[in-house]
Amino acid sequence: MWSFILKRLAQGLITVWFIATATFFAMHNVPGDPLLNDRAMTAAIRANVEAKYGLDKPLGEQYVIYLGNLMRGDLGISFTQENREVNDIIREHFPVSATLGILAVLFAAAGGVLWGALTALYRNRMPDYVIMFFVILGISVPSFVLAAVSQLVLVGTNAAFGVTVLPVAGWGTLSHMLLPALVLGLGTMAYLTRLMRSSMLEVIGSDYVRTAKAKGLPAARIFSKHQLRNAILPVITVLGPSIAAITTGGFVVELVFAIPGLGRYFVEAVQQLDYTVIMGTTVFYGAFLVFMVIVVDILYGFIDPRVRMQ
Amino acid sequence: MSQAQDLLTVENLTVEFDTYGGVVQAVRGVDFSVSGGETLAIVGESGCGKSVTVQSLMGLIPTPPGRITRGSARLHGQEILGRSRIDGREIRGAQIGMIFQDPMTSLNPTMTIGDQIAEPLQVHKGLSRRDAAREAVRLLEMTRIPEAAKRAKQYPFEFSGGMLQRAMIAMAIACKPDILIADEPTTALDVTIQAQILDLLQDLQRETGMAIVLITHDLGVVARMADSVAVMYAGKVVERGSVDDVFYRSAHPYTLGLRAAMPSNDPAIKQNLQPIEGSPPDLFSPPPGCGYAPRCPHAMKVCCQQPEETRLSDVEGVRGHASHCWLHHEKSPNKPSELYFSDRSGKGLEIKGAEANS
Amino acid sequence: MRANTKTVLDFSRLDAEQDVHAISRPSLSYWQDAWIRLRANRRALVSLLLVIGLLLFTLVGPWVWQVNPAAQDLDQVSQPPGVDRSALIVDPHEAWVVGDVASEVPGSGLRLAAAATTQSVRLAWDVLPGARGHRVYRNLFPVGPERAYGIPRAEFFDNSVLYFEDLLDLKPGTYYYTIVGLDQDGGLSDQTVSLTVDVQRVTTEAEARARGLVDEDQSLQSGDRVLLDLHPLGTDYLGRDMLARLMAGARVSLFIGIGAPLCFVIFGVLFGAVAGFIGGKTDQLMMRFADFVVALPFLLFMILFKIAFGIGPGESGVMPMLVALVLLMWPATARLVRGQILQIREQGYISASRLLGAKTHYLILRHMLPNTLGVVLVTLTFAIPSAIFTEAFLSFIGMGVAPPTPSWGSMSNEGIKTMLTTPHELIFPALLISITVLAFNLLGDGLRDALDARMRNRE
Repeated sequence: MWSFILKRLAQGLITVWFIATATFFAMHNVPGDPLLNDRAMTAAIRANVEAKYGLDKPLGEQYVIYLGNLMRGDLGISFTQENREVNDIIREHFPVSATLGILAVLFAAAGGVLWGALTALYRNRMPDYVIMFFVILGISVPSFVLAAVSQLVLVGTNAAFGVTVLPVAGWGTLSHMLLPALVLGLGTMAYLTRLMRSSMLEVIGSDYVRTAKAKGLPAARIFSKHQLRNAILPVITVLGPSIAAITTGGFVVELVFAIPGLGRYFVEAVQQLDYTVIMGTTVFYGAFLVFMVIVVDILYGFIDPRVRMQ
Repeated sequence: MSQAQDLLTVENLTVEFDTYGGVVQAVRGVDFSVSGGETLAIVGESGCGKSVTVQSLMGLIPTPPGRITRGSARLHGQEILGRSRIDGREIRGAQIGMIFQDPMTSLNPTMTIGDQIAEPLQVHKGLSRRDAAREAVRLLEMTRIPEAAKRAKQYPFEFSGGMLQRAMIAMAIACKPDILIADEPTTALDVTIQAQILDLLQDLQRETGMAIVLITHDLGVVARMADSVAVMYAGKVVERGSVDDVFYRSAHPYTLGLRAAMPSNDPAIKQNLQPIEGSPPDLFSPPPGCGYAPRCPHAMKVCCQQPEETRLSDVEGVRGHASHCWLHHEKSPNKPSELYFSDRSGKGLEIKGAEANS
Repeated sequence: MRANTKTVLDFSRLDAEQDVHAISRPSLSYWQDAWIRLRANRRALVSLLLVIGLLLFTLVGPWVWQVNPAAQDLDQVSQPPGVDRSALIVDPHEAWVVGDVASEVPGSGLRLAAAATTQSVRLAWDVLPGARGHRVYRNLFPVGPERAYGIPRAEFFDNSVLYFEDLLDLKPGTYYYTIVGLDQDGGLSDQTVSLTVDVQRVTTEAEARARGLVDEDQSLQSGDRVLLDLHPLGTDYLGRDMLARLMAGARVSLFIGIGAPLCFVIFGVLFGAVAGFIGGKTDQLMMRFADFVVALPFLLFMILFKIAFGIGPGESGVMPMLVALVLLMWPATARLVRGQILQIREQGYISASRLLGAKTHYLILRHMLPNTLGVVLVTLTFAIPSAIFTEAFLSFIGMGVAPPTPSWGSMSNEGIKTMLTTPHELIFPALLISITVLAFNLLGDGLRDALDARMRNRE
């Protein structure tokens, strides 16, 4: 198990290096001189930046400087905000995004497993049809539409009750987080529900569930000990990519609900072409996602004995 | 037949499945019985309804698409079809145990072998976790698994196929069932392992006195294990009786065909294998008459026209030896010499269907 | 009951030569069987029809509905579908000169000096108690207890001017005007008076003729009614025809949505087939590279590539998005195809074929590709909705196609700003995105069920 974890971590490091390199060369390819951008580049920042990145030096040297800075954990200074380090920006805004993301992932995973198992157990009966209708809705409606519509509904609800049932936008308390997390997690939940349903159907038709029935076990025990545990495995394998989808999907939700998260900051940086912030955030997100996938892999190892024993 | 002493009696069992292509009549009126301590082998080719028959007894037919449309199955004289308990005891797992064809996929991959064996003990006998675990180790020892205590803590993927089938057997006999149903228990295993598993089953039967219903398409296994045989074809039992009766005094052309198609390692027999030409009938729309008629060398016009199910007759008055075949009808003029007949005149043929009709 | 006691039984031998090999059901090829299964699946069939309908909408639609998607109809801005589009012909606008309000405009309180039209709204009022001046507000909603007056339109710091002519951006509908008294410091007092005004659509003869709303030889006078241009699905915030824009947007969205998956699936199939067929070190190397690409955070790199490729002036930005999608999405297909190829390579029929002297290219063309075609087709169908979503997402955060090129995503983005007042601007593009994604998802489900060999003998 330990060698497995170490191997995965080493692979993860190489992946992060690949992400950083791809980011560097993609951004270097940007047409025109980023420093000639007329947007809010003060002379002071410009001097700082040139000194720091050796922009007059050849590409290879710049790349080495960039990697060196990265290894020291230095993601650079914002192009548009004087003396603001990218690290500071991440430190300030990422916890908000992470809280929202964790809530959404929990919501998506719990809902996906529950609804997926239910639809499989009630296959081709009323609960299956009803849940699958909402699942298809969740898969087909873009998150920004969902966010906008839910906001609209909330405005209506708040007006109808004359009190603020849930705040429409902003950040701070749990009540601020509920709706955005719901909207953010819904698409993934729909996807996980489908996955869980088909996985559960396969388990229900499997030989070992037939064995469990032949042993005369009560349905509840068959469900909890034999069906659920096996059906959940494929859901866990896609949890890593799902976290990625939810984190980046957070951009839109943060934008619509006016949440001061890193995603919203990233979108703003993109719109203002704040190169260091774009690069820093991309590498940070990339590393975070690689790490999450490793965590999920290890988690999977603990649940599936076949992986654990290897 | 004196059904009173029989442990399990199945009569006129009929099972259908709804599919995209229509209704498949998988089992079309099956009769057989098993008495205590006996081994009954159900033989027949793939798709003839052997597995569906026993799975419907265990309530393992998924409904829908499957359904049991007719018939009865009585254990200790009590109906079990559509029920899960008789005499206050669970039928499945407690009174009837079952093992399956492919032990590799028939065990839960995420649960230890010991836990899986202990499960029926906890559920049916109310044993505590600890007692059930101890009993599971004892059962593994009983099925001759070395280092049983260590093995009980392992997962199915750490076992070989033969070991898994032993574990399956341990699980099936955990609650000391009266009947063990073994659905092609050796098909997926190596030949050397097959013999070990069959020996184990025989030994366990001797120790516990349980009856075994053995499903197989291997006539060698039948000869080695069974006391009596039921030969199935196209969803029906075409011949049944003791092993000797069915093998050496075959009364149905299909049984004869099976025997001719079986290889022999006796150097004295220099005969070539004779395959049965053609393929079984389409069970989406079974023929009105005998399903074997198109392939039968002795077929008569009546075979294609009328169902032969009422022609189940005790051949030569030997108790329990019966065959579904128009050739045994008293008026049938062509009785081939290869088939076993008591009496060319047809006397001594007791026609069971006649009682029902009168 | 039983036949044997009643009818004559014929025990004569069946002598006719029997065809024992007759197969009672015809056998079907893989694709025939798949097509039958797909047709039997009602949801898949409906979604197939939907997809065909969408393609017709995109390709044939612009020939049927020949309206320039960029043309602005300023008389009908942000107009919902199905609204009365008749307009009254009035004289050209002339400046409103008022001497004494009290005598020239009859009535008291806040009142209209003339019929309210989209040309102008002329208001007059009396001095509010204690007011040193007045401010005029206009709102789209009734003034509630929280005293939201709307946008301030004019301010007068003495009581000499008691009239106001509103000319700004008037649309047919209801407006709520409020006059608020000002105290001596210019601050708002609680003295207010409100008026609900129904504005009627008008146009002038010159304008109607310039737009070709009437025949050239038809005479027009004030008081006549003319019909403005038809917009079946209404107009957007710049007065552009929604239907024409949706059709133009469909071309962009579906071009990216279908074009990009087609490209990356082809690339993925080639990459995966080569890796799977060559095997060994090359395979390892190629798949490691695919693993790295998979690990790139997808949306972030979409944005990054979009920035890196840049959009020149006058470009729509469709091609950069297509390239970025292909660059990032091919590995999934490559992995899938490689897995399939590896699996098929071990199958008995490949060895059999090789034994019979089949060459490599024959094996690939005759056995490997046809057997992977099913999964590839399913992947392609599922990749389409995800590409459409990506386009919509990027356009929504402003990183998609450049305006004025319409796409469903950018139209939704524009529509969301006016969601509260004119929801149709969001609803139509969002609905089309949803329907398209839904149709391709259900079609993919149906295809997978129809093509999956494991499912063939089940159920």
